[in-house]
Amino acid sequence: MIRRKGLNICLLGFLILSIGCVPKSKTTLSPGLPEDLPGCYAIFPAEPWESVHRIEATIRGGSSSLLGVTRGEPSERRFQSLLLSPEGFILFDAERRENGIAVRKAVAPFDSPAFARGLMEDVTFLFLPPQVKPATWGKKTDGTMICNWEGPDDSHTEITGSMESGWRILRRDKQGEVIKEVVLNGPFVNGLASRMELRAFKPTPYRLRMTLLQTFP
Amino acid sequence: MKKFFFLSVLVTTVFLGAAGAPAQDWISLKEASRNIRSVKAEFLQKRYLQILTKPLHSEGKLFFYAPDSLRWEYLNPLRSVMLQKGNTIQVYNFSEGAWKPEMTQAVEARRMVLAEISRWFQGRFDESKGFKHTYSPEPPGHIILVPGEGINRFIQRIEIFLSVRPGVIDRVEIEEPGGSRTSIEFRNVEINSSFSPEVFEKP
Repeated sequence: MIRRKGLNICLLGFLILSIGCVPKSKTTLSPGLPEDLPGCYAIFPAEPWESVHRIEATIRGGSSSLLGVTRGEPSERRFQSLLLSPEGFILFDAERRENGIAVRKAVAPFDSPAFARGLMEDVTFLFLPPQVKPATWGKKTDGTMICNWEGPDDSHTEITGSMESGWRILRRDKQGEVIKEVVLNGPFVNGLASRMELRAFKPTPYRLRMTLLQTFP
Repeated sequence: MKKFFFLSVLVTTVFLGAAGAPAQDWISLKEASRNIRSVKAEFLQKRYLQILTKPLHSEGKLFFYAPDSLRWEYLNPLRSVMLQKGNTIQVYNFSEGAWKPEMTQAVEARRMVLAEISRWFQGRFDESKGFKHTYSPEPPGHIILVPGEGINRFIQRIEIFLSVRPGVIDRVEIEEPGGSRTSIEFRNVEINSSFSPEVFEKP
């Protein structure tokens, strides 16, 4: 009996470990109906926007509270992002343009090129859809949208959800493993989710919890 | 260091404002500052950034007890507090339902900044290496602080507007290079009131 119980615990442990290691399964779809395609872009701002978010960042067991300010121009895939201390001091200020990233200001520990690149990638991931048309998309009977994009570097982006149930964005590497995940919850204000949580898994795990404080227009 | 100098400026301006009254000469203002034992106030901070159409609002409160105890606390949109008691400086952020120490405490930088504040607070304005001051006693009385080389990369000018009520300021304007600025309005300022010393020890 004891041996059986031990075996069960072992199996349970193995099962948990297995779940933790297996990448979340990809949904396979055919190209969807043209009228459903706009649903793939529902969570991204379509017009120029300004936003202020409260950000709780957790990395390597430590946490930090910051303010994130972004002004974007979706049609030109251009935006400017600032990180502010609780006092309002600008810790990081950079602009994403067509030809790359321009860092205007960066205070330690936010002054490395890798940080600038990572932050601007995250802002892009959160606010701008992939540049190409989804490879496949569809709408389930309950209204849930499922959209898949193929990236130029064999990466994949998946968006699933609805305005009622919330949304999830997954970014997979070429091995199919999830490297970033964003969960968005409404209500949506001027096309922006009230709450977002970004989790990065590779190469360095971290989490950003973002709450929308103000937006314009 | 830059970040905390910015904070120090906010704190210092409160003391200066609390110390002064309109139509006082500079000597009287310095004298008044020497009589301050404690300051307690609430504040509304408006942060004007060039990329934002509307300013970003923050609210908070501060406590000071001479010569070197300070609590500067933001209540929203981010809860954050800096505590100083003597040489001990702690910074906490409120996150996920609990106060957590800030990852980068930068204690040495803060200590240097707070030493500067203490000099000003004790009326030793002329000993400051950071700012040159100009005082205009005509109502509305105001003080202009112009930073020296180094600090002027982050702060261009500070203007403190004194209230008609002696010992109280209406607001402080801090201008930065590049066009951003901060306005802080003080409310419910209490001079030399008593409060628990625990405010300087626990978040």
